[in-house]
Amino acid sequence: MIKLISIVKFISLFVLLLILGGCWDQKETEEQAYVIAIGLDKAEESENLVKVTYLISNPEAGTAAVGGGSSSEPPREIISFEAEDFVTSRNLANTVIAKQITYDILQIIVVSEDFARDDDFVRWIYDATKSMEIRRDSKLLITKEDTLTFLEINQPKLETRPHEYFKMLFARGKETAMLPVSDLNTFFRITEADADLFLGIYGTTEKSEKQHGKEPDQVIAGEFHYEGETNPTEFAGAAVFKEGKMIDVITIEDTRLAFLLNPTMNGVDILASFPDPFDENYHISTRVNKISDIKIKMDLKKEQPEINVTLPVSIDLLSNHSMTEYQLNEQNKEKLKKSFEDTLEKLFKDFVKKTQEEYKTEPFGWSLIARKKFLTIPEWEDFDWMKTYPDMKVNITVNVELGSFGRQGGLPSLEEVRD
Amino acid sequence: MEESKGKIGLKEFIVLTIIMIGTKVADDTPAILFESLHNAGWMAPLINGIIAIIPIYLLIKVVTSYDRKGLIHVTNDLFGKFFGFSIVFILWVFLFSALIIDTAIYADIITSVYYIKTPTIIIYGVLMLVCAYGAKRGLEQIGSVAYLTYPYLQLTFFIALLLTITQGNVHFLFPLFGPGGWEVLKESALKLSIYGDLLYLFILIPYISSTKNFKKGTWIAFIIIVLNLTIAMASYVFFFDYNSVMELNYPYHEVIRTITGGFLTNLETFFFPFWIIASIVRFAIYLYLTAILFGHLFKIKHFEYVIPTLATLIVFIGVIPESTSSTIFQLRQGLLSISTPVFFFLPCLMWLVAKLKGVTKK
Repeated sequence: MIKLISIVKFISLFVLLLILGGCWDQKETEEQAYVIAIGLDKAEESENLVKVTYLISNPEAGTAAVGGGSSSEPPREIISFEAEDFVTSRNLANTVIAKQITYDILQIIVVSEDFARDDDFVRWIYDATKSMEIRRDSKLLITKEDTLTFLEINQPKLETRPHEYFKMLFARGKETAMLPVSDLNTFFRITEADADLFLGIYGTTEKSEKQHGKEPDQVIAGEFHYEGETNPTEFAGAAVFKEGKMIDVITIEDTRLAFLLNPTMNGVDILASFPDPFDENYHISTRVNKISDIKIKMDLKKEQPEINVTLPVSIDLLSNHSMTEYQLNEQNKEKLKKSFEDTLEKLFKDFVKKTQEEYKTEPFGWSLIARKKFLTIPEWEDFDWMKTYPDMKVNITVNVELGSFGRQGGLPSLEEVRD
Repeated sequence: MEESKGKIGLKEFIVLTIIMIGTKVADDTPAILFESLHNAGWMAPLINGIIAIIPIYLLIKVVTSYDRKGLIHVTNDLFGKFFGFSIVFILWVFLFSALIIDTAIYADIITSVYYIKTPTIIIYGVLMLVCAYGAKRGLEQIGSVAYLTYPYLQLTFFIALLLTITQGNVHFLFPLFGPGGWEVLKESALKLSIYGDLLYLFILIPYISSTKNFKKGTWIAFIIIVLNLTIAMASYVFFFDYNSVMELNYPYHEVIRTITGGFLTNLETFFFPFWIIASIVRFAIYLYLTAILFGHLFKIKHFEYVIPTLATLIVFIGVIPESTSSTIFQLRQGLLSISTPVFFFLPCLMWLVAKLKGVTKK
């Protein structure tokens, strides 16, 4: 009898194994089509439809496991069609694609600029919070052209697997402060908080002739000119969103400034060039680092609220084309420091002015600091950050600390060389 | 009651209590609190923790003056047969409805977040099957399972919290008092019954090795629970900011889907199994308690045998509501508000009666 009971128990263990498969949600990796990026565009005719583009990655591509002929399959597949939303569109895609579409490893939602600038954009993007498979850490990417063209032309040469390509690209962009941290969670948070601007990654495959500014840093995606044999896609600058709607594009330089002024973000490898105070023909290349946290003091009770920002940065010299002696010359160092501070302060001042006049609010996350000055949410909402910010007095002080002068500190004096 | 049953020790009792109440942080309790308290939602467990000291203290005082008798015996003794029966009946109704509502929510979490295509009734059925099996095995076994799994549960929970806090932003806690200081106090006090389950622990006194252990265990577990809840609630705000956190149905599951640990993404696959184990232990205790009360009310000596029946009943009632997450959410909110006065005033009343009858002096 006891033996019988234990046999029955043993058998029922195997019955439990059936549950482990995940009941109806059992999925075979081989039978899934993994969508890496969803593209969203305005539908051409109807306003109630949206054009959905899928970038489907082939997980087998580029792996070491060769065999069964899998290595000859291309690394990706793209399909684009009109649907009611990007949740139900999954089944529609199955009219063409044999495998089951899954969003499990979805990384990016690509939106065309045209669609992002639309008033109704918010309605569509909030579908992402309904579908449980879409994760809140997915990135939001804004493209200049329509997303289908973008995804088709974007063919990385050396990193052909799209999931790896995008992951690395965004991680690097954040380090160099050239691309904003643009995830869905932040987008929803900022849209709902209704105080700050959201910065989204901006990219394109189209080349444009004219440029925003004269300096090499004053470009947005598509304006950076390069030659050679590579992928035509560029990611640079940021799309500015206000209240869930795109309103503008800012340059690489401005994105960096926004990074530096934002207390919650940290770029670690920001390279920038400044005019040389000793010879106006040249620029000095530098690496800029935030030394410690940015200090923001606010006086919001005043008639004209005031914000005082102190930004401590260290600047390492990477080039010295005017061949000025800094190493031993304290006077030159002082002059250089002063010039850096002035340049930075002017840049910040201009950018803040632009945000106040043009955007009417800021992308620096300052409203979060301002919230500390209030005890309750009703008080804070009455204050209405978006209304008060444009009239605020913003003072920005930059404290520059000169870092290293490069591997070899001194340079030969030009006069002596030419003598 | 069967006194001869195996008893549980201090450690088992503590972890049992923590799992039973602490798990609330991972269902829709945070959503209920954030709904009215906005970003000050994290204060509610703390404020309530302080308020809840009063009923717990009074109840411990009353119940421990009896020699190793549980809450059921004490109520009967204090209020007489009729009122005693009514009170126990009310307690049972609360517990049973809480059990139905909570299990329905957990089934909804599993189906809407993790197993999207599987029919709810299957998930619900499997969940209750496992819980009923656990409850049927008796308190001692539930205690052992709780004790075995607790370190892992707490550890994974801490990892999740740590990742959440490091990827969040402290500034989101401000403005500190959310909808206003007074409002926070009032709204939290109305949700006092998030700790209401503590009341039911007093039923278990006869099954615990000693009264001293029970007293000690209750306080230790209570402190850990309050800390767990408060930190977790604050970290949700860190992560989402108040506007977003109010929109979420199940913040914990949203958090574990969003956090990443370095190169590791899709971390929910790691945290989900631990959560489900905690839930199973939790409902096993609930079922067991319901069965004890039911057995007492209807004079069933071997109350363990009603557990499978109760579990089946729960599944069939639980699947009735349409669009579970919102209906149940409202039901749960209602239940929390109704049971709050009971949780607060019943111990006070008992203490008062005990005082008048001169029981506490003994």
